[in-house]
Amino acid sequence: MRAGSFSRDAAIGLAALLVLAVIPLAVHSPFFTDLIIRLSAMGLLATSLNLLVGATGLVSFGHGMFYGLGAYAFALLMQKTAMPLWEAALLSLVITSVVAAGVGAICIRLRTIYFAFVTLAMQMLLHSIVLSWVTLTGGDQGLRGGIPRRFIFGVDLADQRNLYWASAVVLILGLLAMRHITASPFGVSLRMVRDNETRAAFLGIEVWRAKLTVFVLAGSFAALGGIVASLFVSGAYPELVDWPLSGQAIFAIMLGGIGTFLGPLVGSAILLGLNDLVTRETEYYGLALGIIILLFALGFRRGVTDFVLRRLRPPRVLADVERR
Amino acid sequence: MFDNGTSSLRRRTLLAGAAGILAAPRIARAQQGTIKIGMQSIMSGAIALVGTSSRNAAQIEVERINAAGGLGGRKIELVVRDSKGQPQEAARVARELVNSDGCEILLDAEASSGSFAVQEVVRDLGVLCIHTVSETSSLTADPKIRVATAFRSARQGVHDAIVGGGYTAKTAKAKGMTRFATCSPDYAYGRDTTKQYVEFIKHFAPDIEFITEAWPKLGQPDFTDSITKIIQAKPQAMFSLLYAGDLSSFVNQGNVYALFAKLAMFNPNLGDYPVLNAIKQMPPGCYSGTRYLENFPDTPANKAWGEAYRKRFNEYPTNWSWEMATAIGFLEAAAKKGGAADGKKMAQVLPGLAIDSPFGVNGKITMRDDHTIVDYAIGWGETIAKTPFIVDIQAGDWGQIVELETEWKKQNGYV
Amino acid sequence: MDLNALGGCLSSAACLVTQGTSGLIVGLLLFMVAAGLTLIFGVLKIVNFAHGTFYMLGAYVALSAYQFTGSYVAAIAAGCLGMGIFGIAFERFLISRVYGTDVLMQLLICYAVVLIFDDVVKIVWGADFQSMGMPPAFQVPPLFIAGGVVPPFYLLLIGVALTIALLLGLALSVTRAGKIVRAAAQNPEMVSVLGINTTLLYALVFAIGGALAGLAGGLAAPVRSLTPGMGFSVLIESFIVTVIGGMGSILGALIAAVVLGLIRSFGTIGFPLFTDELIYVFMIAILVIKPTGLFGREIV
Repeated sequence: MRAGSFSRDAAIGLAALLVLAVIPLAVHSPFFTDLIIRLSAMGLLATSLNLLVGATGLVSFGHGMFYGLGAYAFALLMQKTAMPLWEAALLSLVITSVVAAGVGAICIRLRTIYFAFVTLAMQMLLHSIVLSWVTLTGGDQGLRGGIPRRFIFGVDLADQRNLYWASAVVLILGLLAMRHITASPFGVSLRMVRDNETRAAFLGIEVWRAKLTVFVLAGSFAALGGIVASLFVSGAYPELVDWPLSGQAIFAIMLGGIGTFLGPLVGSAILLGLNDLVTRETEYYGLALGIIILLFALGFRRGVTDFVLRRLRPPRVLADVERR
Repeated sequence: MFDNGTSSLRRRTLLAGAAGILAAPRIARAQQGTIKIGMQSIMSGAIALVGTSSRNAAQIEVERINAAGGLGGRKIELVVRDSKGQPQEAARVARELVNSDGCEILLDAEASSGSFAVQEVVRDLGVLCIHTVSETSSLTADPKIRVATAFRSARQGVHDAIVGGGYTAKTAKAKGMTRFATCSPDYAYGRDTTKQYVEFIKHFAPDIEFITEAWPKLGQPDFTDSITKIIQAKPQAMFSLLYAGDLSSFVNQGNVYALFAKLAMFNPNLGDYPVLNAIKQMPPGCYSGTRYLENFPDTPANKAWGEAYRKRFNEYPTNWSWEMATAIGFLEAAAKKGGAADGKKMAQVLPGLAIDSPFGVNGKITMRDDHTIVDYAIGWGETIAKTPFIVDIQAGDWGQIVELETEWKKQNGYV
Repeated sequence: MDLNALGGCLSSAACLVTQGTSGLIVGLLLFMVAAGLTLIFGVLKIVNFAHGTFYMLGAYVALSAYQFTGSYVAAIAAGCLGMGIFGIAFERFLISRVYGTDVLMQLLICYAVVLIFDDVVKIVWGADFQSMGMPPAFQVPPLFIAGGVVPPFYLLLIGVALTIALLLGLALSVTRAGKIVRAAAQNPEMVSVLGINTTLLYALVFAIGGALAGLAGGLAAPVRSLTPGMGFSVLIESFIVTVIGGMGSILGALIAAVVLGLIRSFGTIGFPLFTDELIYVFMIAILVIKPTGLFGREIV
């Protein structure tokens, strides 16, 4: 990878952050701030899932479990201990990484569709534990009573606009970090694993180590999204660890495009926008969303960003993308 | 990459679109003539009936108020939204209704977990909200959870438990039943409320013993394993909190085993029209609370309300329907007393407010100081296969209810 | 945990009979749904996440047919045939368009179908729960076998399910179509090279899968509540059964479904609180030790 590319990405990230930062100062729109906070959570989940699906070729049906685990670990630490927010956030990332390492060690032994099944089964198990362990998690009612001490470096995140800015920072930093991972030599070896495991092994890549590392990394970024979600809903609910959430993340990356780094983020934005718009217009949410998905899956056949890039980029670049 | 004409045009359209999204809420707020009331509920999935029957009732009441000149002179516009029964979506929808749609009042017809999520949003936004479905007592009883602008127009679990406990104990004594089983859904509402009922049943009849318990999952398609487990234990009666589709499944499957020939069933949730209609062969020996019945309270007002609902929607009203209608009745009265359709003022006058209601014991329902309603109709009776479905109804005694409720609150450290 | 109760039950003939039939009936209805799921996966390598929807629609179609004709036989026939046709339509118009693409694309289509038909059911049949009611012929008291309680209606269901399992097994091993299906499950390219019409074959597989799920929905309609979204929990359970039994194996699905049913019925007595966790852990263990399930074969 070229040396200048990271500083270019960082510059783009900074510019995006600046734009996001000034919007609430110019326009007062709680709808927009809420949307960006949720996009931060969902975008981190979807982009981290694409580290597995797009970059490594590991199709996980249960990635949402780390998002939920992050949310629960964080909310529990905030409610049960006196830890400051950043410590609780950091510790929940550590907890999630440890669990992800354990789960990953079991799951990555399997390939293709069986990997997908076992990740799904893991998530079902976690969800069912959350439901059963009522004394710790509150069972189906979730962790109620809100999240106390929502201060980070003196900023009160109980104020929705402050939470908006914090979420924007978390989202941009998270994306930059994941961008850096995909662009690094480690990212290159992941793609080699994806394209041909045997050849990758032959070239000296320790396949299981690469897979496990990216599984843990992706899990931590998903947990980061979970922490944002937990702050948004002031607690944690079993739906945050349930597997339909993994399905939504999959839908987001399909919608946005697997082949582009920002595809999952774009997909998340479209998905959230669709959800809000459709819920607003009709009580037949499933019918409307289902038809949209069908049109997309049968008509578009690839993610929106992939689709747009194909049209915009000259054929030579396209061929280059294909070859990667 | 974006250096040709088309894409810069596209970018401009995109920016304009984004600006449109940002500006939309302002347009929504601009109409001051009408007052927007947001109603959120579960409109999809297995218990979509919660949402549809709440919305129907809301429509009837809003039309009535608008025809009479509106809420404090302002016409009501009802904004209905589906939360799909997910707490985090419930929280989002509540925020959206207030922040983007400009709703000044919320009617929250969510199940308990959704209501607790909405409660936190209400705490944050300070908007007037009436919960119309959640029966979980702590939502308003626990001062840590209670919110100054949030009220409940639904039954409160502990009220039902006191009346149901008393009725069950009395009937059991009369029939010489002492060996009980329980069979309730395995989630927070099912477990907590069953525990309350068991406590009150034992309070009224200490010699009753509970010999076995089954905890089927919510929405489980087949209850045969629970049914046969109960049969093995040979109890004389069972207490159950199963409801809606789960309850009709359970009774239909129990019939296959002739379960109800061997034992009596006490279940507060049988006495709701959709359940009664879905149970094709109602066995004898089942006792239920009155969820919503046109003949309880047996007044012309209640009968007229039920008939109007049936005529309008070609289906029976549910327990959730009267609870929603009651919420809107309270809004109407509060706007009148407070002098304007203003959420803050209405929230201040609501505690202690009494309204005329077809669903009250003496034609009145009161919003008590602890933000939950009292004096609504609670009764228990024996179920039969055809209308009026429940006979020999014994009404609960509100003096006794409040006395035991206060004791219960003390035990839980709520007062 | 209540191991004493479990021990007591296992040593009593009455309890064994009652809980045994209870587990069998749960398991065998599950098998009928799972059989289609595993067959479709075996031949097409597609996980049909819309299979629960087939079950739900089968039940609703049966309900309408019952209300129209008053005949239970006509009701289950309508559910079964209706879903057979629905299966073909689903395969022809939707799934066949994404053969050979990403597995995720197939998943999306199934997801869309689930969402759409949950709402379609709500529009056509209403949001409230419904039930067919027990047909008069079966409104009879239960039998007592060795002190255990056994309802005649469930004996019928068990009989039908076992007959289906037997017929399916026979059809797959004896008939020409069955042999082709088994061959296709092992080596799809070879079947296609041999000049067999795979289009017809794939439609046939979906027709059988749909018909079985619809039959299960219709058979269960007298005792189970019909609600929009009722296919969801059935899908999850049949998915578990299919994974444990081995994706593509009918025998595996049969055994796993019955075992799951028995775990439920005896678990209610012995360890009511951990039944679900136990099943998930078992499923993970199977996947890790033998990813192809108890009776499945490795896909190449």
